[in-house]
Amino acid sequence: MRGVGLTSRLMRLLPEPDPGAPDCRSPLRYLVWLTTGLRVPILFSVAFGILFMVCQALMPAAIGRALDHGLIARDRGALLLWGAALLGLAAVQAAASIAQDRWALTASLGASFRSTQLVTGKSSALGASLRRQVPTGEVVGVATDDIGALGRAFDVVGRAAGSAAVIAAVAAIMISTSWRLGLVVLLGVPLMLWVTGLLVRPLHRRKHRVRDLQGELTGRAVDIASGLRVLRGIGGEEQFSTRYQEKSQQVRAAALRVARVEAALTTVTSLLPGLMLVIVIWLGARYVVAGTLSVGELVTFYGYTAYLALAMRRMSSSAHSLTAGYVAAGRIARILSLPEGREAAEPPRSTWPAAPGPLTDPVSALTAPPGRFTAVACASPCDASVLADRLGGYAGDGVTYGTSPLRDLPRDEVRRRVLVVDNDARLFSGPLRTELRTTADTSDPSEASGTADAAGASGASDTALLMEALDTAAARDIVDGLPHGLDTVIRGSGHELSGGQLQRLRLARALTVDPEVLILVEPTSAVDAHTEERIAARLTARRRGRTTLVFTTSPVMLGRADSVAFVERGRVVAEGTHAALLDDRRYRAVVAREENAA
Amino acid sequence: MDRLPVSSAAEVRAYARRLARGHPRALALAVAVHAAGAICGLAMPLLLGDLIERIPRGTADVETVIALAVMFVLGQAFLSGVAIYLSARLGEQVLAELRERFVDDVLAMPLATVERAGTGEVVARTTRDVGLLANAVRQAVPDAMLAVTTIVMIVGAVLLTDPLLLLPCLSAVPVLWLAARWYLTRAHAGYVRQNAAYADLAEGLTQTVEGARTVEALGIARRRAERADHDIASAYSAERYTLGLRTVFLPISDLSYALPVVAVLVIGGLLYLDGLVSLAAVTTGALYALQLVGPVDVLLYWLNELQLSGAALARLIGVRGASADPDAGVGADAAPAPSRPSAARPPSRDIGHVTFKSVSFAYHDDHDVVRDLDLEIHRGERLAIVGPSGAGKSTVGRLLAGIYEPRVGSIALDGLPTAGLPLSELRRRVALVTQEHHVFSATLAENLLMARPDANRAELEAALRALDAWDWAADIGLATPVGSGGLDLSPAQAQQLALVRLALADPHVLVLDEATSLLASQTARRVERSLSALVKGRTVVAIAHRLQTAHDADRIAVMERGRVVELGSHDELVRAGGSYAALWRSWHGASEN
Repeated sequence: MRGVGLTSRLMRLLPEPDPGAPDCRSPLRYLVWLTTGLRVPILFSVAFGILFMVCQALMPAAIGRALDHGLIARDRGALLLWGAALLGLAAVQAAASIAQDRWALTASLGASFRSTQLVTGKSSALGASLRRQVPTGEVVGVATDDIGALGRAFDVVGRAAGSAAVIAAVAAIMISTSWRLGLVVLLGVPLMLWVTGLLVRPLHRRKHRVRDLQGELTGRAVDIASGLRVLRGIGGEEQFSTRYQEKSQQVRAAALRVARVEAALTTVTSLLPGLMLVIVIWLGARYVVAGTLSVGELVTFYGYTAYLALAMRRMSSSAHSLTAGYVAAGRIARILSLPEGREAAEPPRSTWPAAPGPLTDPVSALTAPPGRFTAVACASPCDASVLADRLGGYAGDGVTYGTSPLRDLPRDEVRRRVLVVDNDARLFSGPLRTELRTTADTSDPSEASGTADAAGASGASDTALLMEALDTAAARDIVDGLPHGLDTVIRGSGHELSGGQLQRLRLARALTVDPEVLILVEPTSAVDAHTEERIAARLTARRRGRTTLVFTTSPVMLGRADSVAFVERGRVVAEGTHAALLDDRRYRAVVAREENAA
Repeated sequence: MDRLPVSSAAEVRAYARRLARGHPRALALAVAVHAAGAICGLAMPLLLGDLIERIPRGTADVETVIALAVMFVLGQAFLSGVAIYLSARLGEQVLAELRERFVDDVLAMPLATVERAGTGEVVARTTRDVGLLANAVRQAVPDAMLAVTTIVMIVGAVLLTDPLLLLPCLSAVPVLWLAARWYLTRAHAGYVRQNAAYADLAEGLTQTVEGARTVEALGIARRRAERADHDIASAYSAERYTLGLRTVFLPISDLSYALPVVAVLVIGGLLYLDGLVSLAAVTTGALYALQLVGPVDVLLYWLNELQLSGAALARLIGVRGASADPDAGVGADAAPAPSRPSAARPPSRDIGHVTFKSVSFAYHDDHDVVRDLDLEIHRGERLAIVGPSGAGKSTVGRLLAGIYEPRVGSIALDGLPTAGLPLSELRRRVALVTQEHHVFSATLAENLLMARPDANRAELEAALRALDAWDWAADIGLATPVGSGGLDLSPAQAQQLALVRLALADPHVLVLDEATSLLASQTARRVERSLSALVKGRTVVAIAHRLQTAHDADRIAVMERGRVVELGSHDELVRAGGSYAALWRSWHGASEN
């Protein structure tokens, strides 16, 4: 069967090697783009959805026939025949149901996985500018909620279509059997849908409110749990317990308001189909008495009407998922359509200089001479991150490398050769070995595959390089303390590591990149004095001959630098060696750790 | 994996029974209304069967039957609405009790347990398990309760209609039972794996988003894409596994739903043809069998969820075990030992005197982190502990704060062993501030008042001023919500906040474990000095990574491999020319090289 072969073929393709270029000008266009790519699974899902629902709908008819031809006509053969037909229908329905499930899953996963790939790619492409354009929380919301909601929408399409088809089919069958009864059902169904819809809206509103409150409540509990050591150490348990209880009771009250609407909705969704059932039986029974309807047909009608309630409920829940999917598609499309900034739009005006030159910021008069280890002591800690951002080409204008303005150079090249590591830099979860050994992606794919082939041979030297970097960052003891050494999987952005440990690992990661220009912001601020001394000695040795700029106020680090620039109010006010600068009273006030000299 | 205790299945059952017994009336009422509603729902097939029986005989009174049917429909609709509300009211009450109780249990956990389990595990239980349980109580439990009531009523109705039809009606039970068992034993692990895979996928994407700048800086966009593809592949393989389970189970269950209908119709029909049952009974029986499908499906659907919520409940009430466990005892409020002379305060001149006597301590059995430590810290002394990472500095601080008990030896505070002091007493005597800075999501003032609830505004201001935090605190405003959901404080501000709390709490002994590591060094030094001035006369033990902290202290203990290797004032140690002197020189001496 074509369908089965096709499922396995399509299913093997996930994740797709290339999700393609989406049309994200509007939520609808994005949905259409996804649907076009997933038309085969969607079509099959719809087809099986209809088959499944139709089989289900035919069962009351078969029961009716069994009653009429078997029991009332007292025909043993017909009874067995219709019994077998009923079983056959059930078998087809079961098969259609699971086939529908499989195709719907393919469509749903196709949509959500493709979106995941696209959002991942887009976030990476936006890089540092992502945070400037959208609050991070919004994009994280896309990752955690919207992609799932989109997938669910593609999941329900088939069954929604099936429900719609079956409502139509049942109406047609009923009208052909008895047009008056059919009409009652045909008019009754939309009426029921409409009345139910009236109640669904306040229900969603209230449910939303409960979800928000529940979120706040969870937030409070998480807050307590995260600060538990502080609370247990210093007090305040009662205060926080009371605050939690207040919120908890608010949630309870809101949930009860939901329950009231839900109760009303239950009453209505049970009352309307029930009343319709009664009307159908009433009219039907009169026709049976009059002889225009058979007993079996009456039972069939009864079955249909009960069944319609099910189909309708499915329709309304599908409608809800589809709406949520549309909203989610809107949010995803918005992220995907963010502009990637001027660097991407404009072609670079210069090529990279052949020999390393000085990296200079005219605004602050700060220069990193090529091949030298320069330390910068900032009187205000804020200056350090601002200057590092400028020199790294993340913000501002006017910085030059050699003779070329930084902004005229290809952005990829700048990132590859000038590495800024500050204390906000993130460690990603994964095995430490891979997360620390970050060879940047090469822009040429053929080059990349070449690297992959050589990966096996270079594995040993890779480890050696990594070990060297860890030694330089005095981070060997961290790795030795982990249960599986370098192969330990660090989770949740390394929350189980202390600030000082994270700092050393970040430094080690930067050293494996071994960039032409390395800019470090307070790399040892959370490290103890013994370790700092070690790092300073090893780092200067390791970076010998390479351009390095370290923002620091540690005398250990400053003392090891080839030269030191002292920055006040965003400008270099003094330059020289650490020893020479110590005569400057302002400089000493910032870095001096000897009391007697003051 | 779980380092916090988990309750056993028996405990969970006992707990659930206690919960049920706690609200006997509400529970009985909810069940009764559910049942009454279900009974009303069963009237319709009965009436229809009766009608079919009578119409051919010409004895049918259609209008009376219809009038009855309307009454039953009204009754069912009304009763099911009321039942939903009643069970929701009960559920929400139980839920609120459970989560409030859980938070109180968390708040009563001994410090040692908190330290050992790590806050991550507690946070996980708070979000994951409370959420799972809320879902269960809001949906799974009422739906399953209604389904079970309905099933029981329907089976009862079939029995009343004609006992001969009972067997055909239950014909699918063995198949369904076996299939469900097969499925449920596998489904749990399968869906757990699937959820874990999706959690990884979401985590990976979240990290790419939050670390977009780092991705750009390191040029690792391709690697992030590969990570996403890898996570997608695992999520996909998990999905295929559960799909495989469904592919086996769902067709069987779907067929099992149809089986009773066919059986009642065919077997009942044959019995009718032999004159053993009535036509009405067969019709009614077949319709009842059809009505069984819905509730059975609902029940099977929620079984997995109920299993999960049972596990969640086990983890939630397990925390109570941790809180009440007397062996975890240090600082447990619940069990103050009355025999200890804690109430009799020693003469004030002795307050804050600490003695370590031959103390050894190991986190794991094999490896002592602190070895045979003897140390005396005098009242009002400022002692700095320095040394390379892993030397056992922080462990000394935690031992002193009473979080851990020594494996060998003893620690005395003003002559009393710290281990086993009731928490309230311990807090008055020793407070530990680490570099872990947490800003509670509350107002700035509330963040401080937790240390001393009766402090007035002037006292808060004085403490903030003293620790150099008044400028920014006044800028923000004391009544402004901070922390998650409020204004974000910088790590340095958070650390200052922790120190202000400490100053307000004013314990006899302050243990500062890298408590100023996130402040700029000039600020750190200033803050440390103001803190010392503020708590003048108190004993301060500062575990420091900055040498200036050591320099300012009265005495310095240099630790290496779990032992104090040098002890003395700054000048003494520099004169002695040991490892501290070497380090000190490198702090200045770099200029002399």
